[in-house]
Amino acid sequence: MKQRALWSAVLVVGLATAGCGSASDTGPSSGGGNDKLVVWDWKSGEPSAKAYVEKAKADFSAKHPDVTVEFVAQPFDQYYTLLGGAIQSGKGPDVMLFNGGGQIRDRVDALVPLDEYVAEDKQRLAGWDAFSKDGKVYAGPVTLQGHPIYYNKALYEKAGLDPASPATTWDKFLADCAAIGKAGAKCFALGNKEGAGIQFWMSALGSGILTAQEYDDWIAGKRDWNSPNVKRIFELWKEAGDAGLNNDGANSTAMFNDSFALFQSAKAAHVIGLMSDVGHWKDFNEFLTPEKLGVMSAPVVTAGTTPSLAYDGGIGYGVAKWTKDPKVAADLVRSLTSTEALQAFYADAGAIAADTTIDVSQAGPAAATIVAALNSGKPALHVALSSKTLDLMGRVSQQLLSGSISVDEAVKQLAASDQAG
Amino acid sequence: MPIGNAEPSVRPVPPGRADGAAAGSAGSRRGGGSRSVRGGSRAERFAPYVLVAPAILIIVVLRLYPLLLGVNFSFTGDGERNGQTVGFDNYLELIEDPLFRTALGNVGLLVLLLPVAVAIPGLLATFIYLRVPGHRFYRSVYFFPAVLSPVIVGAIFNLLLAFDGPVNVLFEAAGISPVDWLGNPDVAMFVVVGVHIWATFGMALVVFLAGFATLDAALLDAARVDGASLAQVIRHVIIPGLSRTIAFVAVTTMVGMLTSMFGLLYVMTSGGPEGSTYLPEYYIWIQQGQMNRPALASAASTVLFVIMLVVGLLQVKLLRRAGGED
Repeated sequence: MKQRALWSAVLVVGLATAGCGSASDTGPSSGGGNDKLVVWDWKSGEPSAKAYVEKAKADFSAKHPDVTVEFVAQPFDQYYTLLGGAIQSGKGPDVMLFNGGGQIRDRVDALVPLDEYVAEDKQRLAGWDAFSKDGKVYAGPVTLQGHPIYYNKALYEKAGLDPASPATTWDKFLADCAAIGKAGAKCFALGNKEGAGIQFWMSALGSGILTAQEYDDWIAGKRDWNSPNVKRIFELWKEAGDAGLNNDGANSTAMFNDSFALFQSAKAAHVIGLMSDVGHWKDFNEFLTPEKLGVMSAPVVTAGTTPSLAYDGGIGYGVAKWTKDPKVAADLVRSLTSTEALQAFYADAGAIAADTTIDVSQAGPAAATIVAALNSGKPALHVALSSKTLDLMGRVSQQLLSGSISVDEAVKQLAASDQAG
Repeated sequence: MPIGNAEPSVRPVPPGRADGAAAGSAGSRRGGGSRSVRGGSRAERFAPYVLVAPAILIIVVLRLYPLLLGVNFSFTGDGERNGQTVGFDNYLELIEDPLFRTALGNVGLLVLLLPVAVAIPGLLATFIYLRVPGHRFYRSVYFFPAVLSPVIVGAIFNLLLAFDGPVNVLFEAAGISPVDWLGNPDVAMFVVVGVHIWATFGMALVVFLAGFATLDAALLDAARVDGASLAQVIRHVIIPGLSRTIAFVAVTTMVGMLTSMFGLLYVMTSGGPEGSTYLPEYYIWIQQGQMNRPALASAASTVLFVIMLVVGLLQVKLLRRAGGED
């Protein structure tokens, strides 16, 4: 009993002293030495990224022959947890890979603004916005990530539709879906187990729902959650679910990669996929053949809107503020985004690279359609939201599909979360 | 529970030895020490502290100090308020977060489901002990899932319980409408707990079988001679005879459910659908890893620690009482 009292006393003293300071060290200290740069990512360990890493290393060692570069491939599942630990302790890699959007914006405190170093690359590369905050760039984009609507031309033919001219309006699209349903396939392959399905939905269809003004305001941070068009995004999501357009059990289907598998095995005619990494044109080409894979633009829901491709910088390398010489580290980022390196990445890993000068004519019509749409493309709607709001949106979207929440209530909760963050 | 373990390991130090040391130092204080003079007595007085110092240091440096750092950290802010003292803000945020409340509610659900998790291996062990036909076969089959990692178990059940998976195909064949096992928030938590019990009950079964080995067979024979039914044998002979084993299994099962369901949750539901399968551990991981809120995660960890402390102390008490009954 005495012993327990002692432990309690220790605990109480601990609690009493708590709050006297932070356990985190915000002071700077270096990861690698003067002549060594450490890079963290989740890509370099993959065989498909080998050529990319070699090209980038060669490019960098031509500029800085005395600096060695060490790539440390972390498991993606753990990546941001490990990075969080490194940032907390103020020690870690000099250069690190980030997903664009919330993941990097939440962590810019630990990064060096790169504007002065990457000025020359601004024109050649696309997707900077996803790596910027408050007008400063924090990473060089490697790939572009976006949400094209892929469709299976073979299923269109089977349903008696013209695969060369997919629907351009929502009403026509619903009619096409009805025909596809009669032919024995679902309209959408949807995996919303992780709650990511709604993000893809919002970004892929948003440009046909929001007016151009609303769209730009949304990206700029002036999001009007009371707008009927914003509400329409979630209404359509619910209607599509209620009408049985999605595969059964969407809330328990993993997007990666069960929903893509449904599309690849021709059980569903459309899927909102990705441009890079996984669930993209290269994967689908292998199963459906390049000739049978199409990319369509969003059907117009609100009259007067001009649908555009939603894309952002996908992944990009940033420089930690504790690195010894930011100039050298920024040079490494420039090597990692050089045309040669990115050409290798596009060809081997199946990504739409950030370098717009790369020729993709060998990759099939779907990739060509995507690249052609890049010029008129806009940032994806969901990327503008904080990770907290995205997490909530995932849960709310599941509730919408299961019918346990109304659209009004869902939008209300999201608005509160968005405005609080 | 390191604290729970620390007690018994300290206690068995024979009281005789402590008395002896006291007597020795008392003797030398009187100046009658025949060996060396004061140097020796001082060494003897400090020896126990020196000897336990490594163990204490390890506990203090590697357990208590990080624990205090974590608690301390939970009173600071995240993001722009990094490093600033924010008082109980993180705890208030936790209380207001419906997700964290769901996680705590699920802990309560686990406690409620504990009797089921204990009864299943108990009953099965009873049948094996009573030598039902094929008991040898069942003994090994029941233990088998215990050697699988939660990730593999989760992946297996993901396939089985998918909406278009084999279980629902069987259901449809039997004319029952399919169930979205992992997509229905009212069902998912029970499914995950069920899979967890399936995956871990083998270990408890072995413990029960070991307990049966100490059960006096003469009592069973006597009960049978007196004409007791199976239910009566279980109620009046087996349960009282195994009270210690039951208490032990209850404690280990509870700890297992509270601390090692992360892998299953991660693979099977990712906390969904609709956030219905969150547990504090998973919540902590999401806040720290995905939301970049380490201080909030520390606050949640502290709450989880306090819960575990309370549960642990209650269970130690329970174990002791069960031990004292006979």
